Amino acid sequence: MSGDGVCATGVRRSFGEVEAVRGIDLTARPGEVTALVGPNGAGKTTLLLVLATLLVPDAGEVRVAGFDPVREPREVRARMGWSPDVFGLYDNLTCREYLLFVAAAMRLPSAAGARRADELLELAHLTDKGHQPVHTLSRGQKQRLGLMRALVHDPEVLLLDEPASGLDPRSRVELRTLLRALAGQGKALLVSSHLLGDLEELADRVVFVDRGATVGEHAIDALPANTAAHPWRLRALDTDLLLAALARGGLAHGDPTPAGVDVQLTSDQAAAELLASLVRDGVPVVSCQPVGGHLEAAYLELTR
Amino acid sequence: MSLAKVTWQGVWTMAQHEARLRLRSGRWRLLLGLWFVVVTGFTLLVQQAVRRTYSTSDDRGIVVYGVLVLFVLGLALLVVPSLTGQSVNGDRERGTLATLQVTLLSAPEIALGKLLAAWGTSLVFVLLTVPAMLLTMTQGGVPLGRLAVVGLVLVLLLGVVAALALCLSALLSRTTTSGVLSYLVVFALCLGTLISFGLALQLTNERYQETFTNECPPRELLVRDGVPPEEIERILATCGSTETYDSTRSREDKVWWLLAPNPFVILADAAPQLPPLSAAEQRRREQLQQQGVYVQDLRDADPLGGIGREVRGLRSGPGDERPGGPVWPYGLAFDVLLAVGAVWLTARRLRAPSRVLPRGQRVA
Repeated sequence: MSGDGVCATGVRRSFGEVEAVRGIDLTARPGEVTALVGPNGAGKTTLLLVLATLLVPDAGEVRVAGFDPVREPREVRARMGWSPDVFGLYDNLTCREYLLFVAAAMRLPSAAGARRADELLELAHLTDKGHQPVHTLSRGQKQRLGLMRALVHDPEVLLLDEPASGLDPRSRVELRTLLRALAGQGKALLVSSHLLGDLEELADRVVFVDRGATVGEHAIDALPANTAAHPWRLRALDTDLLLAALARGGLAHGDPTPAGVDVQLTSDQAAAELLASLVRDGVPVVSCQPVGGHLEAAYLELTR
Repeated sequence: MSLAKVTWQGVWTMAQHEARLRLRSGRWRLLLGLWFVVVTGFTLLVQQAVRRTYSTSDDRGIVVYGVLVLFVLGLALLVVPSLTGQSVNGDRERGTLATLQVTLLSAPEIALGKLLAAWGTSLVFVLLTVPAMLLTMTQGGVPLGRLAVVGLVLVLLLGVVAALALCLSALLSRTTTSGVLSYLVVFALCLGTLISFGLALQLTNERYQETFTNECPPRELLVRDGVPPEEIERILATCGSTETYDSTRSREDKVWWLLAPNPFVILADAAPQLPPLSAAEQRRREQLQQQGVYVQDLRDADPLGGIGREVRGLRSGPGDERPGGPVWPYGLAFDVLLAVGAVWLTARRLRAPSRVLPRGQRVA
């Protein structure tokens, strides 16, 4: 599959007085998972609506799978799958009927549609629920069915708004695996989420947005260094030894909790040095990591 | 923007889906059963009543059929708005509209599919009245052509109402508002037309001069009647003059069209006129009459024909002796145009990507 992914530059969109999006740039390349991260009201959902051929932007250049969502919505729809943050399913249909309807609406021939519906039910671990009405599904199962809806026509671009909300930990891991596999097939995935821990393991690149504008676009393994003091969490087999060593080093630290002891550090460099000195002092350190992960640290820095 | 594509496959996919959702929710069996019982029961009652009133007639079916058809139209006008009154904004409320819009179904396909599903459902109601209609046929006097034309017009009118309700559900964001408004539209078509006709009629009042000629009676007639001679002279001296009076009259022929969009008017006026009695039938009735059996001619009591004659009469101006032409083609054309406009507007509102959003409304 050769795709063009998603490319947006200078997208603006306001609703009356409110400027929801005022200059978002981003690219989502085929074969990659691009995370769209930002606080509530940063314009993520509005941007996705523009990309999903539902909203006309006030300004800006947008290409989805190589087509303009405003002038060529049909071409975009044939190649793009969108799953909104809040969506409804038809409660009285069975899962299979639902997917069959979407397949027909995507103009799949009925035999191909039936095949595809069965494939997707299996992918979503819903095969045994295929003939049950949608309203009997759990929240997580509905979420998965919604994702399968976006996959019916095997799109080359996937736009997912909060796909993991409401999922239990196991489902989240499975979702991650599924999305990675889709990226592996050469699809371009743009995923907005607040679950930064998940995204850190899922995404190749991350686009930070704040107050309607892009504030950073980075590869996940080259996140900008966070220069402000931010919490790192240390855990040792012997907490008393750890506290004593920290006191000797003159480092301020939080109260010890079962999760560990938090210290304020300004850089990865400082963390490495602290860790080395603790090991030298014979403190049995088990782990040393930024609280909330690198992505969260970068997020907090960029959206301050 | 390129012209949206409309394919039969797309419309059918949408209609099937919509019909399935409709059937799964709500107590359809109960509603349809109730409808059947009410309509059939009503017909039996009317039949009894007519039998008592016109005991010696052979074509009581004319009356029973007319009453039944008007009743079914009225009842259907109450049911149909609820079939589409929340079709689009209900989807929006449940969060299923946006995911529909990003499929390859075009906006007109979605609009037409939804209309077709509602129209089809209303057809089921019409079909359930067929047994009652056949029952009236056994009472005699109703030609098959009338049955067919009236059925066709009835179905068309229900489609019009469904389209109007669909349009309101697309234009308004709240389902309750569009539901209430679609009933108001039905009210406007049925009673609003009558009220506006009545009011407009007052505006057509005009003064005109009425001329009377005082005809002279023959002298012999007056003599024979024993009128006194001096009185005869007086009458003959003053007669033959013309007198003019100022008078006012209303001009129905100027405002009759206000009644044309009324569904009842359309349905009644569109019903083909009953054919004249055959010579044989006429002879038979005359023979019976000679034997002292009076056969009532129920063709004058035909409710549909009565309404039709009434509205056609409005079309003829003062001094026009001929009855006016049919009213229903204008009314039906107007209503159908209204429905086409409504579907067009619905499709427009369903078009994505959209530039404007109604206040406080989310797309998703």
